[in-house]
Amino acid sequence: MSASKSAITPVVFYRDPIAALHWLEAAFGFETEVLLTDAEGKLAHAEMTFRDCNIGIGGEWEGPQLGGARMRSPASLDGAGTQFMRLNLAEGLDAHCERARAAGAVITEEPQDQFYGARTYRARDPEGHVWTFSQDVRVVSGEEMAAVSGLTIETSLRKED
Amino acid sequence: MSERARLPTIGPLLWYRDPRAAIAWLETAFGFETRLIVDDGAGGVIHSELTLGDGYIMVVGPPDGRSVSPAAFGGRSTQSVHVQLDDGLDARCERARSAGAAIEREPETQPYGDRVFTCRDLEDHPWSFGQTVQALSVEEMEAATGHKIEA
Repeated sequence: MSASKSAITPVVFYRDPIAALHWLEAAFGFETEVLLTDAEGKLAHAEMTFRDCNIGIGGEWEGPQLGGARMRSPASLDGAGTQFMRLNLAEGLDAHCERARAAGAVITEEPQDQFYGARTYRARDPEGHVWTFSQDVRVVSGEEMAAVSGLTIETSLRKED
Repeated sequence: MSERARLPTIGPLLWYRDPRAAIAWLETAFGFETRLIVDDGAGGVIHSELTLGDGYIMVVGPPDGRSVSPAAFGGRSTQSVHVQLDDGLDARCERARSAGAAIEREPETQPYGDRVFTCRDLEDHPWSFGQTVQALSVEEMEAATGHKIEA
């Protein structure tokens, strides 16, 4: 609807999407760009922005236009999720974590440095969606990553020394 | 890994029972390009980066803990992915259909000025694709949709 910032926008479903908008503003610093409400004041469509990206927020729904798909909050699925979200911060990861914690996020992994050169923390929001925040802290070569982790890394990226 | 910085701030991470098959399918059906796969050596993908335009997703699996594929979950999904195209929406739909995507909403121009189709992928993750064909003002969108719009 609005000019898309990045080509890909994830859409996240909540039982109470209006409350989610307010929480995501307070906890993560997102901004509400577009909010469509129907005659009863219920959310019809919402778009939030964060840096160069959009995030869609929706309520739980299903219908013929979705075929057999059913959009659900993890709060309705005993905490299960079919997609998670990753956000890459330029700076301030630890402060961002504290802001989220103060707003009631459940920090499931405290900020820590990862073998691939990023510092990350992981949080669950009030309805159970999983958000991972990441900040690059050092450049690690593919060879070093593979050696440290024991993982096989296939990449089309050229290493820049 | 300095090229990581070129990815947009936000990327959705999708869980698949068979992530290798999913990566191949997403390349064929939607035109994603895979630039990184981190393989656990036991058939699992713990991280990957697939780009489309200036956007990206991560395909991982098989699910563990509280993660689940919609294919194993009665089609229930906690997120969907929207892809905004500059052009070629109808052709993209035919490409996806040919690869086996379940087209739920055929390409149709919406009252808010975008042409849209929606589909489910090989493990039932929901996707929507849009292309703006007529840029409308907020007032015009309100009149066309009947919704109150705060923007």
